[in-house]
Amino acid sequence: MKLKKKTARKKEAVRPPRPEEKGEPKRTPVYLVGDYEMVADFTTLCSSHGYFVFFHFNSPPEQERLLDSRFSKKSAQIPKDISFALELTNIDLEQKRLNLEQLDRALPASTVIASSSVTVSATEQSSWIKHKNRLVGCSALPSISEKPLIEIAPTAFTPTGTVSIVQRFFQSVGKEIELVQDRVGMVFPRIVCQMINEAAFALQEEIATPREIDVAMKVGANYPLGPIEWADRIGLEHVYAVLKALHTDLGENRYCVAPLLKQMAVSGSWWHRAHAPNEERNSA
Amino acid sequence: MVRHLGVVGAGTMGAGIAQLAALSGIEVSLYDINGTILRQALERIKTNFKSNWDKRELTENQTIEAFGRLHPRTRLAELNHAEIIVEAAIEELRIKKDLFRHLEADTKPTTILASTTSSLSITAIASSTRHPEKVLGLHFINSPGAARLVEIVRGQQTSAETIRRAIEFTAQLNKTAVVTQDSPGFIVNRLVQPFYGEALRILGERIADHEQIDRIMRAVGDFNLGPFESMDTAGVDQCLSVTQSIQDQTSGESRYRPHSLLKQMVDSGMLGRKSGVGFYKYNGNEK
Repeated sequence: MKLKKKTARKKEAVRPPRPEEKGEPKRTPVYLVGDYEMVADFTTLCSSHGYFVFFHFNSPPEQERLLDSRFSKKSAQIPKDISFALELTNIDLEQKRLNLEQLDRALPASTVIASSSVTVSATEQSSWIKHKNRLVGCSALPSISEKPLIEIAPTAFTPTGTVSIVQRFFQSVGKEIELVQDRVGMVFPRIVCQMINEAAFALQEEIATPREIDVAMKVGANYPLGPIEWADRIGLEHVYAVLKALHTDLGENRYCVAPLLKQMAVSGSWWHRAHAPNEERNSA
Repeated sequence: MVRHLGVVGAGTMGAGIAQLAALSGIEVSLYDINGTILRQALERIKTNFKSNWDKRELTENQTIEAFGRLHPRTRLAELNHAEIIVEAAIEELRIKKDLFRHLEADTKPTTILASTTSSLSITAIASSTRHPEKVLGLHFINSPGAARLVEIVRGQQTSAETIRRAIEFTAQLNKTAVVTQDSPGFIVNRLVQPFYGEALRILGERIADHEQIDRIMRAVGDFNLGPFESMDTAGVDQCLSVTQSIQDQTSGESRYRPHSLLKQMVDSGMLGRKSGVGFYKYNGNEK
């Protein structure tokens, strides 16, 4: 049952690009752009690990979270001297393309970009830019930014050196790395979103109430969260984006999005949220 | 409050439920058509009680009392004191329908009839009775003793009163209960399908290997066990048969199509922990 890794890469124990803690001389600047929740999460993560973060949201919410202004700054402009860039858009792929084109134009060819590749493969993204070899995919979803592991996916164009820069960057913010193949959905987002999709089918068939579904999976299958709770943490818009991308990419019925999930994603509702429909409607 | 329970079938499931109920202070009539199986079941329960006593989970008196609540029966008519009868016979619709028809004829009109089926329709089983409103499913996830969850399955005709009494009964057994409609796989077996199915797909498409997938699901998803560790623990054959059964019941819905790797492994005897090799190799309890 052992699979051979298609891309053999040596593990290097290189010191992470982290500035000296003593006296706080100069912090390494990084640039983060993309969907609000993930940019906010990663800004907090990076600034607490010794970086200075310039960030920009695709569309900021009405009420923004307070971010540490000593070590981070909102900036629509991309500073030329940043050492690393993260593109974190899952939902609006047109916007993602604009962001990447902009990063590609503004940054020297040697600056590496890690880009969320859960709704479009990193290889496809690299076809949008001129310096294809600077891009590496990574798994980004709201609510998993603080987890101790991140999946990264090199593209067909990524040289080993670029991969190890990305590895070192994520290690420097406290993450273990799993190198996976560059496919839409990667590992965790694909599995968890399909679990939520199945729960949405069960809900629209009125098999049980949302609360009962969560209780059943936590008590009966020992899951840390029920699928309805997962969807709440991640945000249904992101779940929908992943599912749609899987369906487009793989073209199989198995990845059809549950109509109820789609409806609720576009209308911005889900059970634990303020606009939640009446949960007990199924228990008649 | 249930004072008297009837259990039909003294196999692992039936004996497990009888043992659990006796420990919860309920008088239990345990029926099996086969006297030998019945005697063996009682011996097993006695051994289990003895070990509870040895581990000081029960006092001597509690052990004797609990065992005293078990009454072996070889005639269905002897179950007529029971307020609830739980059927745990083999998973065959014809046999269950037959049993339910006889049970209804031999018991009080108020007796609730429950099936422990995991793969048959409660509505179909109830169709052989004249009062399908008092028929429902009680699906114990895992063995009755270890289960923390019972799925209470509502057939198309099951009454609200029957459901209410079943909820009360599961509370007496100290289990968490959820109510589900009579639909393939109910809640848990159906909703775990993507956890296994997508993991197998990801492995099959060579996106990551099984160890990576398990590591990712544990670290990012906070799961206790990754999908492959979990399949090895449950038994690869068990996983295949559940998936296959849901697919059959849904007339081949593609979301439940078993992965070819599962079939290959079952055909090769790679069943997981119990056979020493599954997705991982095992040495005793160690991976």
